[in-house]
Amino acid sequence: MGAPKRDETTRARIVRVLSGRRAGLGVTALPGAVWIGLLLLAPLAFMTAVSFVSRDPLTYQIVWEPTAEGYRDLFVGGTNEYALGPVTYKATAFEKALLLSYGIAAVATALCLLLAFPLAYVMTKLDGWAFKATIYLVLLPFFTMYLVRAYSWRLIFGNSGVLNQTATALGFGQVGAFEYGVTAIVVGLTHAYFPYMLVTLFASLDGLDFSLVEAARDLGASRVDVLRDLIVPLTLPGIIGGSLFVFVPSVGAFITPHILGLGKVQMIGILIERRAIGAASNAPAAAAASAVVVLTIVVALLGVFRYVELDEMGGA
Amino acid sequence: MATETGEPAEPTGEEFGDRLLGWRRTEELLRIGLYGTAALMMLFLWMPLLVIIFLSFTQSPNILPFEGFTLRHYTRIPGEPDLGGSVLTSFGIATASAAIATVIGVLASFALTRYRFKFQELYRTFGIVPMIIPGVILGVGLRFYFQFLLPIGPGVPATVLTHSLYGLPFVLLIVTARLYTFDESLEEAARDLGADPLTTFRDVTFPVVAPAIGAGFMFAWIRSFEDYIRALFVSGVDVTPLTQWMFGKITKASAENLNLLNSVSTLIVIAIGIGLALAMNLGNVTGYVAGTPGEDDEE
Repeated sequence: MGAPKRDETTRARIVRVLSGRRAGLGVTALPGAVWIGLLLLAPLAFMTAVSFVSRDPLTYQIVWEPTAEGYRDLFVGGTNEYALGPVTYKATAFEKALLLSYGIAAVATALCLLLAFPLAYVMTKLDGWAFKATIYLVLLPFFTMYLVRAYSWRLIFGNSGVLNQTATALGFGQVGAFEYGVTAIVVGLTHAYFPYMLVTLFASLDGLDFSLVEAARDLGASRVDVLRDLIVPLTLPGIIGGSLFVFVPSVGAFITPHILGLGKVQMIGILIERRAIGAASNAPAAAAASAVVVLTIVVALLGVFRYVELDEMGGA
Repeated sequence: MATETGEPAEPTGEEFGDRLLGWRRTEELLRIGLYGTAALMMLFLWMPLLVIIFLSFTQSPNILPFEGFTLRHYTRIPGEPDLGGSVLTSFGIATASAAIATVIGVLASFALTRYRFKFQELYRTFGIVPMIIPGVILGVGLRFYFQFLLPIGPGVPATVLTHSLYGLPFVLLIVTARLYTFDESLEEAARDLGADPLTTFRDVTFPVVAPAIGAGFMFAWIRSFEDYIRALFVSGVDVTPLTQWMFGKITKASAENLNLLNSVSTLIVIAIGIGLALAMNLGNVTGYVAGTPGEDDEE
């Protein structure tokens, strides 16, 4: 009788403690708070601190004295002339990488949005077997390793890639756009993050009441009107959320530019990696570059959150 | 799209039937256009994978000149040094980190859905940030943090901690979505019938939420298994997950390496395809991914 009775009271005590609001909240919320605090906020704060110290050029040891040298390196160090079409501008390697990353990420995001919208729309019209099959075919590339997908584009682009070999066989010769470089990176990033956009858009479109579309059409609205005045505003949280899920990781992408740019396209992710562990190792400079990128992302997020809540955006 | 709208305009307007036909034709063309675009997008998603699968069975790693099929690249896999070990390493790291992410994520989901507290929105936002923050930056931040501030050197524990943070948002998004639609009157009914909170949780809440927890675990597991960049910064030189093994082969691209990579990648695609098919049969993966209740989700 003794053992089970003590078991009962332990259990009863657990139940009583957990029933309290404070204890229940503590048990459920605290582990996550600790994890986020210790593994996300503290490292980012520490990274910011590291960005304000310097590295001894001889011993490679970190000198723990406040300085803005890391940032000066990024924005003041050797500038070069770059030509962007007819415009030439002077920029440091970091500024150029930042501009390039934002440009590439913006194009990839726009492409994802344009390409995913029709597919997401069609998916809302499917049901039963066709829907399950489509979802399966969409999710499989989504779950396939990111690295495998980036690698698959390496087989398709390049001198001896599938595209160029096909072009040569058809008599067009080598096509410059099929080389490794910015085009290949944009395609690779679009492919990599396309499912994030698709899933988010689908969640948004699926919640749309299509009788509104019919009503608008009956009242004389054209298709363009319906799209502009009804579908886009109502799915705006999904559009913004999907864009965010594509844009932010694209800005800091490393694998795709590394594999599809052959080291010639210096995006910000590659620049940071090289300073953090690569050949040009310099912890404060890497930390400073990361801090600047985080800052620009936070500014972008604050801009977005004026219009939508994060949990409205749904999807995974 | 714009061309066909003006086309059937008959200025006299005598034949209403003509306009109806024109309208139906426009409708039909639009439908074909829409479905055609959707099909092209599916092709875009699949083409690279199909290329890998095709090339894994060909003699040369290039598509032209075509030199016939072979299974040679697959028979090489078992004898490949380091490959088996790296797969095991990735498996271990993914399982441990997904388990941690699932426990913490499920608890946090309950906190977010069952309680109102200060900084709740902030909590939710920062719970999702690890998913979208660029991997390079998370990796750099954690590398310096572990290196300079904590007594955790680079290695498996550091990688597991990193990936447990990375997997957290996926569990959180999926499980909170399920809990929001959960009918709490079921719990109240169980309590009214005399069940204590633990029994209620075990017999009522858990069975309903379990598929979502499973889906969250799967997401977190795959995100850890496929991660290269975060692990690169914190795993150190002695630990080689599968992605680092593959990355090495990609950067040292010889015909031999490419052939091997193609066959390994094909096996990965097949394994994920089987796993996904099983998961979709067992639970409503669709709903958790898309955030909408699916057809077999009526509880």
